[in-house]
Amino acid sequence: MKIRGIATFLLALFLAVPSAFAADGAGVVKAGKCDSCHKMAGPTAKTIAEIKARKAPDLFYAGSKFNKDWLVGFLQNPTVIRPAGTVYLNNIKTTGDTDTATPPAKCASKLSAGDAAAAADYLMTLKDAKMKTGVAKIDAGFSKARAKMLIIKTEACNGCHEIEGKGGISCPTWEGIGKRLNPDWVYSFVSHPQYWDTKTWMAKRDLDEDAMQLIVNYIASQK
Amino acid sequence: MKTSGFSKFSAVLLAAALFQMFGMTASASAESADDNYKLYCVQCHGTAGTGKGINAPFLAVAPRNHSSAPDMSQLSDDNVALAIKEGGSAVGKSTQMPAWKSVLTDPEIHDIVKHLRKMCKCEYVKK
Repeated sequence: MKIRGIATFLLALFLAVPSAFAADGAGVVKAGKCDSCHKMAGPTAKTIAEIKARKAPDLFYAGSKFNKDWLVGFLQNPTVIRPAGTVYLNNIKTTGDTDTATPPAKCASKLSAGDAAAAADYLMTLKDAKMKTGVAKIDAGFSKARAKMLIIKTEACNGCHEIEGKGGISCPTWEGIGKRLNPDWVYSFVSHPQYWDTKTWMAKRDLDEDAMQLIVNYIASQK
Repeated sequence: MKTSGFSKFSAVLLAAALFQMFGMTASASAESADDNYKLYCVQCHGTAGTGKGINAPFLAVAPRNHSSAPDMSQLSDDNVALAIKEGGSAVGKSTQMPAWKSVLTDPEIHDIVKHLRKMCKCEYVKK
């Protein structure tokens, strides 16, 4: 009976500790008012009017999208990922017939190491149940030359993304993108951007499996 | 009373269903050509349509100047619509112009073509 009692207590403790930890992370997110800029629950924007009202990226699938270690660091020291802001359209300045972008402000939240870890734990629980995992085949020996030919010459990803220090600014920079994003999410997003963001200005491309893996591997290598 | 309660419940369900249907209809409705142009085209072609968008300096091939009547009058509406729908490669132009068929419907593309004709103040001149 005594052993059973101890086992029950330990089981209860095992079950209680993670949930208490997750609740703490949720509390940090709530106290930080992350939902004043980020959508913490779906669905994503369905109209251009909703897109224009977006202040920061959706976080209701953060656990599918991000790598946890990157989240912990970012939450302590936010950086600008989208050089022209979350919605570039809202930051355009037109002079004569030429557009430039007003640099966006960084995320105002700056958490302590403990709060960042707790918040990251919570955010990693926000997953898209339908996303396939294990689809990105990360291979350290992938052909970077072929990947760059595809990314720069054929698909011109650098038209909208800053890649290796050069490129467009309407979309997220690829600087450090390998640390930031889960390769399986990258595979899913590149395959079908509109699944994640109905009105995104990232066009869907018809890429075969070889091309998909080259892109995913190149992105994963950008650390 | 029981029947009345049930009716009230049914009414709430019906209202919720109608609201859902209305919501779905609203989300599926077409965007204006002006809004679509601003969200998808301006990043490269620019607010004025002159090809001087915020990404233009980083493109290997300059984006088309939609305000240029001499340039735009050489392109048929079908050609422009095909370029928007299937991308630049479909009309023998740069692959930097992506295919927008995943976000724009055929009627929306048709509206954008009309919007471009207003920007260039021109029509296709067949040679």
